[in-house]
Parts: sequence; structure tokens; C-alpha cells
Amino acid sequence: MEFKDYYKILGVSKDADVKDIKVAYRKLARQYHPDLHPGEGGGDKFKEIAEAYEVLKDADRRAKFDELLEYGDQSSQGFQPPPGWQQNHQTSQGDPSADQDFSDFFNSIFNGGLDQSHFNGRAQPHHARGQDVETELAISLQETLHQQIKMVHYQLPVFEDGKVRQIKKQLNIKIPQGVINGERIRLKGQGKPGYGGGEPGDLYLHIHVNSHPLFDVKKHDLILTLPLAPWEAALGTKVTVPTLDGKVTLTIAANTQSGKKLRVKGKGLKRKGKLGDLYVIINVIIPPVSNDKANQLWQELAKNSAFDPRVSWGEYL
Amino acid sequence: MMRRLTVISLSELCQLERIESHHIIEIVENGIVKPIANTISADATDNNKKPDWEFETASVYWIKKAVRLHQDLEIDWLAVALLIDLIQQRDALQKENAFFKQQLSRFTEY
Repeated sequence: MEFKDYYKILGVSKDADVKDIKVAYRKLARQYHPDLHPGEGGGDKFKEIAEAYEVLKDADRRAKFDELLEYGDQSSQGFQPPPGWQQNHQTSQGDPSADQDFSDFFNSIFNGGLDQSHFNGRAQPHHARGQDVETELAISLQETLHQQIKMVHYQLPVFEDGKVRQIKKQLNIKIPQGVINGERIRLKGQGKPGYGGGEPGDLYLHIHVNSHPLFDVKKHDLILTLPLAPWEAALGTKVTVPTLDGKVTLTIAANTQSGKKLRVKGKGLKRKGKLGDLYVIINVIIPPVSNDKANQLWQELAKNSAFDPRVSWGEYL
Repeated sequence: MMRRLTVISLSELCQLERIESHHIIEIVENGIVKPIANTISADATDNNKKPDWEFETASVYWIKKAVRLHQDLEIDWLAVALLIDLIQQRDALQKENAFFKQQLSRFTEY
């Protein structure tokens, strides 16, 4: 078991008073709280900080820890409490109520001797509902157009023969039409098992809609960038463009500028009875390679055109 | 086939997520989440009675986050509400930024 020096974790000295400990904790909590800094792996660091604070803010727990700090063996073989130390071996007896938010080190010292309600109200009582589980489900943009049945795979810890083992679970889930990126779907009773007769937790599916090579999404609308050759934009043309469920032919007016937005009604996403639109944004592309004939034609155009794209710069030049 | 749940009641939230009802009342009174409109009755203002609210499942994410922030950062509910507002604004701006970056890359890929 790894020894944890709670003073070092909070960056306070061994004679720090409760006020210093509180200030150090609050500063670190703001810095590492996973709700403030998602996706930065801050969860584990914050758990360590919260654990250190739980111990050091309480005079009895701190005294117990100080005793261990002074007399415990912190050799490289792992931490061993001093001889005669009254441990409560709840975890090694296989009680799944050992708090999962705290380290083995913490549980071996304090579990059983404490009023668990002190622990932010989130510690596990002896008879409790299992924890909720959150898992991600990736779907394509096309799949959001219709209700889908998807197989979801996830892992659940089960407690067997005094050990926690991960089992693989799979479920068929009905994904509603028009689901959006980031949406969470709750499935009752499919989370971690309860103990002491408690109900299982829920499974929350976090929907991730994969990005599409052509279409971007803005609420119910789809955005498609349409590349045009300069002569198509200048002379006007008809272009066939893809939609999520087929294709449409667009009429491009003469002298269409890059950045112009054309709306194709009803070709966006469907959600809760609403139908979004498809917006097509024009992007005029100059051919990347040229040849003598093309250069000659461009030069002829340049000679015969009075167009100055920088006319608004006049006073700055 | 599972039945997908889209709403959760106040008492279910308290029982299942082990969140105290007065915390949820604070969360609603500070505007962090709103109960589903037709479940807000006049009784909700009666201090002696637990309101008969129901919430969208999506609200559970914010309710749990609010409770964690209140407890872990040791801040009052007004500060939690401000923090959640800022987190939501940041999320929206990050999403918008990602959208514009993606749009820009489509214009400059040639």
C-alpha cells in the first residue's frame, strides 16, 4: 500500500493551522476540480486533494495520521503501519461498502471508525443503491435522422469472492430520432449493482455525434461548403449537391460571391417535430495549376475589366 | 428492449442520487435548472410541502454538478449558480469556436 503524505499533497507544513489547510485546499480545488476542468485528467488529482483535506481538517483524523507519519514504515516496499496499530480491516474482509472515492491507504486507516456522513455526504452507507455509470455512444450524423437501435458495450464492477472484477455488459438501446451531440440518455437500473439489498444505479449514455466529412451542424441546420470555379460563380450554373438523405440541384445565379449562403428548406436535421434547413455556403476556388491557354484568357479578362476589388481601400493607399 | 426515461421526479432524484431535497430546491430557486413547466404548481411555494417537480434527464447532469461544486468548493448556492452560468457560457463558446474553426478549415483547405 502506498503511503500518502497529506501535508505534501496540500502543500502545507506539518504545523499548519486549520485556516491554512482550508485556504490550500480551496486553491487546489479550484485548480483541479474535474467539473471546472473537464478532460484534463483532473479527477484523480482532485480525489487525492479532497482525501487529504478530509483528514487534515478534522482534529481526530489528523492526530491519527500524524501518529502514522511519525511511526509508520514508509519504505519502498510499501507502507506498513507501526506495530500494534489498531487497523480496521474492512476492505480486506471484502465489504464492498469501502469507499470507492478514497484510496486503500485512507480506507485502511479510517474506514469503520468514522461517521461516513462527514464525507461530503457522498460516501457509501452499508445498504445503498449502486452508483450511476456514464458511457459514451458514438453515432453518425445520418443515424440521427431516424430512430436507431444500437448495441452499447460497457463494463461494470462486480464483487465476487472478496474481489472486485470488471464484467462486460451489452444492451440494445433505442436511440430517438434527432438526438444531438452531448445529449445524455438515462437507462434505469443498468448502472453499478447496489449492495445490502440496494437497487442498481442507472446508466447514462452520453451521445457523441461523429463529425461528417462534408456537413457541419448548427442546431437543427446543416451547413455545406460548396466549392465553385470562378467562371461558375461569374456566369451562374446548376450544381447537384448531396444532402444527408439524397441530393438536390441548386441554381447558382451569375456573379455569386464567395461566402454567399443559399438555403435549401427542410433538408436539415429532424428533431421533436421540427425540421431544420440545409445552408450551402459558396467558396470560389482559383484553379491551383494553370496553363498557357488559361493564362491568356485570364489576361484578356484583366484587360477588358474595370473591376477593382480594393476600391474601398482608396483613402488608405 | 429498454424503456428510455426522459423525466425524473424530485423524490426519485433524492432517493436515487442521494441528494437532499433542500439542495434541489436551492438549485431550482437559484435558476440552475428548471423543473418541467407543467409540474410547477402553487404548492412549490409552500415551505412545508416537498414540491412535486419533475426534471428532464439532462438536468440531472447539472444538478449533480451543482451539488459537487457546492460541497467540494465550499461555496454558497449563488456562487454555484454563477459558476454554472460561466461553465455553460464557456461550453457554448468552445462549441462555437470549434464550429468556426471547422468552417474556416473548409474555406482554406484548397
